[in-house]
Amino acid sequence: MEGLTKLYGEFRAVHELSLRVNGGEVMGLVGPNGAGKTTTLRCLAGIIPATRGDIHIAGHDMTREPIAAKRQIAFFTDEPRLFDYLTVEQHLAFTARIYQVAQYREIAQPLLEELEMADKLKALPGELSRGMKQKLAIACGLLHSPRVIFFDEPLTGLDPVGIRRMKKSILNRARAGAAIIISSHLLHLLEEVCSHVLILKRGRKVVDGTIEGIAAVFAGQTGDASLETIFIRATGEGDEDLDAPAGGK
Amino acid sequence: MIEGGTRVLMADNSSSQPHIVRALFYLQTRLAWNRLGSRLRRLRQPKYLVGALAGGFYFYFFFFRSVFINVRGGLAGPRPTLPEEFIPLGESIAALFLLVMVMLAWVLPRKRAAMAFSEAEAAFLFPAPISRRTLINFKLLRSQVSILFTSLIFSVLSTRFGKFGQVWLHVAGWWLVLATLNLQFLGASFAITRLMDKGITPGRRRWGIFLGVAAVLTAVVVWAHGAIREPVTEDFGSAPALARYLGQFFEAGPLPYVLYPFRLLVQPYLAQDLSHFLVVVMPALGLLALSYVWVIRSDVAFEEASLDLARRRAEVMTAAREGRDWTAMQGPQKGRRAPFRLNPNGSPAVALLWKNLIASGRLFNLRSLLLLGFSVTVFAFVVSAGGEVSPGGWSVALGMVTITVLVWTLFVGPQLFRQDLRHDLPVADVLKQFPLRGWQVVLGEMLAPAVILTAMQWGLLVLAACFFTTLPGNPEALPVANRLVIAAAAGLLVPLVNLLQLLIPNAAVLLWPGWMLTERGGHGGIEVMGQRIILLLGQVVVFLLAAAPAAGLFAMVFLLLKFVVGWQFALLAASLLAAGLLAVEAVLGVLLLGRWFEGFDVTAESREA
Repeated sequence: MEGLTKLYGEFRAVHELSLRVNGGEVMGLVGPNGAGKTTTLRCLAGIIPATRGDIHIAGHDMTREPIAAKRQIAFFTDEPRLFDYLTVEQHLAFTARIYQVAQYREIAQPLLEELEMADKLKALPGELSRGMKQKLAIACGLLHSPRVIFFDEPLTGLDPVGIRRMKKSILNRARAGAAIIISSHLLHLLEEVCSHVLILKRGRKVVDGTIEGIAAVFAGQTGDASLETIFIRATGEGDEDLDAPAGGK
Repeated sequence: MIEGGTRVLMADNSSSQPHIVRALFYLQTRLAWNRLGSRLRRLRQPKYLVGALAGGFYFYFFFFRSVFINVRGGLAGPRPTLPEEFIPLGESIAALFLLVMVMLAWVLPRKRAAMAFSEAEAAFLFPAPISRRTLINFKLLRSQVSILFTSLIFSVLSTRFGKFGQVWLHVAGWWLVLATLNLQFLGASFAITRLMDKGITPGRRRWGIFLGVAAVLTAVVVWAHGAIREPVTEDFGSAPALARYLGQFFEAGPLPYVLYPFRLLVQPYLAQDLSHFLVVVMPALGLLALSYVWVIRSDVAFEEASLDLARRRAEVMTAAREGRDWTAMQGPQKGRRAPFRLNPNGSPAVALLWKNLIASGRLFNLRSLLLLGFSVTVFAFVVSAGGEVSPGGWSVALGMVTITVLVWTLFVGPQLFRQDLRHDLPVADVLKQFPLRGWQVVLGEMLAPAVILTAMQWGLLVLAACFFTTLPGNPEALPVANRLVIAAAAGLLVPLVNLLQLLIPNAAVLLWPGWMLTERGGHGGIEVMGQRIILLLGQVVVFLLAAAPAAGLFAMVFLLLKFVVGWQFALLAASLLAAGLLAVEAVLGVLLLGRWFEGFDVTAESREA
């Protein structure tokens, strides 16, 4: 992505943002509320048009070849967006037709078993728990074996086991060669799964690099720095709390 | 055991709580003020201002003009009243209606009493040190706003259409009726809860009420049988005579005593002038006060049921606001059968049709449509055979009804069947993720209502072809071949008319999504109503413009060919060419909407709203 800018009237949601994620890499997109993370992901996924800038997905230009680009993408939001009136199996059939996945049943079956949803084929989203809805969204998103995956706050509402599975799933996808971008406020998650981090503030890039690389830059006197420390120093938000003892210890 | 950590609402109603009353008053006034402020602020956006102006004009000309401008009496002046001879009967009928309403409030409920609190109110007020009585008072006071508004609307409607009595006396009369009914419903729900607590099941309660009603009815019938003579011709000679005869039944047996309190309640509404109103309002106010005392002295635990009600209301509101199927929130629902098997290969637009047909419900799947079409055809031929025996009779009348329904589906149908972009606007970001061209999404989205409407209309055309054994007012039989030609010609046109009709609201969704978003729950108001009026008028104008070239082509081809090849072939040829032109317009429309969809940014609208 090169020089992405998104304007809402006079307001700059994203300003001249460039980034690159290669296959097998996981990039963490962090920033304070309103920094432009979700807007960036939505532009990357082709959901909203960028005001300026070039977006290339797996070699396809999002402006000139949007269909080919979108075929390579899966986008998971914090709140799973499902159709209320379609059952689990109807969601899969619908997604398969949209993405033209000919042998989708062979792909869906192990996916559903892995996600423990094989016995929920006839269920409507209203009958599923939040975690199950998330799983259904994931099953639909992975059905066409995307090469680029965007996660927007993927752990919201998941229980500890769900969080563990999600982290494993993200790493597995990356190992399989997918390029992944995760937007999250859970910095410890990003530390665990990300190879790169990009910090945004008010739509602008503040820091970009590998975790080790930026940790070395922001280490300060202590010699090492957590992503939380890096985030606070880079954004200047909550600076006053940085040296204060946490939790009264 | 937890002590001090949890508490139940205070049943101690003896202590007055002026600070709580002040806090609740503050809550209500701030809510109302903030709501008004946000309404006024959004008028800065032209779309709301224009909507407010249109809605205001509509309300003024349709309702309030007749109230405020009275050529004879000036502002809300006196109007011709209900004729005096009809007042006793009108009073009795209204009293009977109220009696039935109150009886239903005792018969229908199956659950414990629940008061309608919002989730926020329940979260803040139930754990707070507020007595149950204060909460009831709070709810009763707050309900007065909606009761007053309803009274005003009812009065305006009765004045607008009935043109009798004085408007402001009507408002007061309506308020007394509605406020007392509100208290009666609440009191009944509390009493039912107490009966349930005492082990009296809904079934036993209903039997008790049924026996009471049966006893009164028996007494009325027996008394009327002995005391009221059979009707004679004179009783039907004039409206007052009929009113007098019917009025006797309301004086039969125990009925006048049973209806007496309800009569007292409706008398203020029927008062003919202020002095009469002042005389009859006192007993009605007494009834209102008694109902209030009854409710306020009932000490019934309504909190748990109210919490459940608040949660369900919030779910329904959220679903409606997000454009989801809010009826699904009202109870468990099963997945709907797919209208046909969707293969993974083929046009992706068909997937959207398939999805929206499922959303349209069980009634509109392909199988039921085929079944309906078959049944209609068989029924129509049976009826048609009967029609041959008596040409121009009821068969033609049925044909006229069929054509009326057909025209109605053409013009109103696209407003009712909204399983297209209007329905999917809240999930527009999901649609935009799909690897589809904009026109594919638009076409796929519009296909479901187009298919449903077309199937209905084709069925109606078959029906009409069978019913019109003759033309209206012409005893000469209309040959089957001619009927089929007309039906086929119309059948060529209707799918394209449907598509054009559907293009217009879908274009409105893409051009002014904010207008459509405000249609969802929680964004009502006069400005939204005005927006709808503008959209409807816009739809009519755009459709007329779009249909005019095809209509012109149709007329020209038909008139030219009629004399060369006969009217049947001319009709088919004209329809075919007009359908072709409409198809070109529909294709261009879908392509244009597709481009708009590709550039569509719903987040920009959300920010604006």
